[in-house]
Amino acid sequence: MALSVDELKAAIMDKAMTAKKPQLYIKDFYACDPDTKPRAIKNVANDLVKEGKMTFWSSGSTTMYAAVGRAKDEETRDAAEDSK
Amino acid sequence: MPKHDTPLLDELESGPWPSFVTDIKRQAETKPECWDILGQLELSFKERITHWKHGGIVGVFGYGGGIVGRYSDVPKQFPGVAHFHTVRLNQPSSKFYSSAKLRDICNLWEKYGSGMTNMHGSTGDLVLLGTTTPNLEPLFYELTHDLKQDLGGSGSNLRTPACCLGKARCEWSCYDTQALCHHLTMHYQDEIHRPAFPYKFKFKMSGCPNDCVAAIARSDFAVIGTWRDDIRIDQAAVKGYINGDFPATGGAHAGKDWGAFNINKEVIQLCPTGCMSMAGDELKIDNAECTRCMHCINAMPRALRPGVDQGASILVGAKAPILDGAQFATLTIPFLEVNQENDFEEVIEQIEKIWDWWMEVGKNRERVGETIQRVGLPTFLSVMEVDIVPQHVKEPRSNPYVFWQSEEVEGGFDRDVREFRKRHAQ
Ligand code: HEM
Ligand code: HEM
Ligand code: SF4
Ligand code: SF4
Repeated sequence: MALSVDELKAAIMDKAMTAKKPQLYIKDFYACDPDTKPRAIKNVANDLVKEGKMTFWSSGSTTMYAAVGRAKDEETRDAAEDSK
Repeated sequence: MPKHDTPLLDELESGPWPSFVTDIKRQAETKPECWDILGQLELSFKERITHWKHGGIVGVFGYGGGIVGRYSDVPKQFPGVAHFHTVRLNQPSSKFYSSAKLRDICNLWEKYGSGMTNMHGSTGDLVLLGTTTPNLEPLFYELTHDLKQDLGGSGSNLRTPACCLGKARCEWSCYDTQALCHHLTMHYQDEIHRPAFPYKFKFKMSGCPNDCVAAIARSDFAVIGTWRDDIRIDQAAVKGYINGDFPATGGAHAGKDWGAFNINKEVIQLCPTGCMSMAGDELKIDNAECTRCMHCINAMPRALRPGVDQGASILVGAKAPILDGAQFATLTIPFLEVNQENDFEEVIEQIEKIWDWWMEVGKNRERVGETIQRVGLPTFLSVMEVDIVPQHVKEPRSNPYVFWQSEEVEGGFDRDVREFRKRHAQ
């Protein structure tokens, strides 16, 4: 049986928080629920971004997902370098 | 911001052609941060390595595309380009806009960015080059509220759909490219503004096989107008061309004297399928052999026109040369109705078939054309529910194995293992 939207959100957040790499491809979340179609998983992941729990990181050609706080944006990274 | 010495870049101003270096210098007079573009590029020329970092977390609230984060890796040396994000604006279909709208966009960009633009980017968008993170939200607000323009696509999103001039200006258009482009843009707003796929996906629409937007070379899903009845021939006009009454090719390339028009040499012998001939002074076309290359129609536009039973061919899987070289799209559906009355239902059905399959089977950062190459065309054609025809065969087989699908074998691949083991020892 497919997970409910809330269960899927929890599974995606869990994966985003515990995965070795902070930034994940959308496909990495498919395994959170093999019974849910990739397009539905994408919609839930995008909702998590709207809710401010995840963030997009994009190279310009590809986009990845990260739990807020796990992936550093360039501005905080530069600030951290400066204070070293 | 001070000027930098740029002896290497200055070389690029010495030719007879326009120079982006001159343009940027001129822009730097009012936007001094532009000096730092030149300074950083000069450094890159010297060190033979880029000083742009790749990507980042930038965007406007609610969107996951349209803005590409760009940062300098030498921001202390070139503070003017410490942030230099690119903004993509969704262009109007066929890129029709008033000069007033262009002025508004340029003024907005002088206010919130470097003032430099690239019109148009390969995907069709108006590309605004260079702004900082704090400027993004105010820019987006004015863009959407005052100018009524939207961002385009970037990242793993559906990219901004693009189309040729179509029926707006071109008599050869076999369907309304602008209507389809606009419809798909509106229908797939979520896919354009938020990532949706393992990688980028592009739609491009040309009204006829001349393919003025190069859909066949640049889009994952190309819709190219075509017809399935006969080329319309006006025999009187054919005679007119032969007599030199009309300039061939609509008078293009008229700068040189090509001599008298020779229908045999310039049209019939150049037909790639050899399906044209003269019977007395009548032009004959064996339409079953015609590949709709457009050459004869382009050469004699008064005499020849596409047929009247019009629609489009769907080609899938073009890409640029990042991995394994560039690739043209493969003709997948030779003829499809393009029907505005039913909101282009047939086209949308094909798009979603591809997406459902590619999202599942495609690897990360794999264009659908690469997925097709990896799994093989026969697998893709079965996904598309297209029967394989001899034209799908590109070259004689070099692999002696024949792979059967379960449904092609009587009884399928399921069998009673116990029964089998009675006859075959383990
Ligand atoms: C260094 C190790 C091996 C060498 C140098 C080798 C070499 C060869 C050669 C020269 C052939 C003939 C190819 C031809 O007819 O064109 C052959 C055929 C074959 N080899 Fe090997 N082989 C090696 C290992 C193995 C192993 C480990 C297996 C099985 C586990 C194997 C299974 C076979 C089979 C089944 C054929 C027959 C192919 C046919 O009939 O088309 N070989 N091998
Ligand atoms: C799991 C079991 C087996 C596997 C995976 C296997 C695999 C293969 C493969 C890959 C070939 C090459 C086929 C080709 O190049 O056309 C081959 C050929 C051959 N196998 Fe097997 N085989 C198995 C069992 C057997 C058994 C049980 C026998 C005999 C009792 C056998 C006899 C042969 C022979 C004679 C050939 C050569 C056929 C030819 O030259 O055309 N194999 N096998
Ligand atoms: S692709 Fe064909 S229909 Fe479109 S503008 Fe070019 S020639 Fe005209
Ligand atoms: S369109 Fe091309 S293939 Fe068809 S008849 Fe004309 S030249 Fe030949």
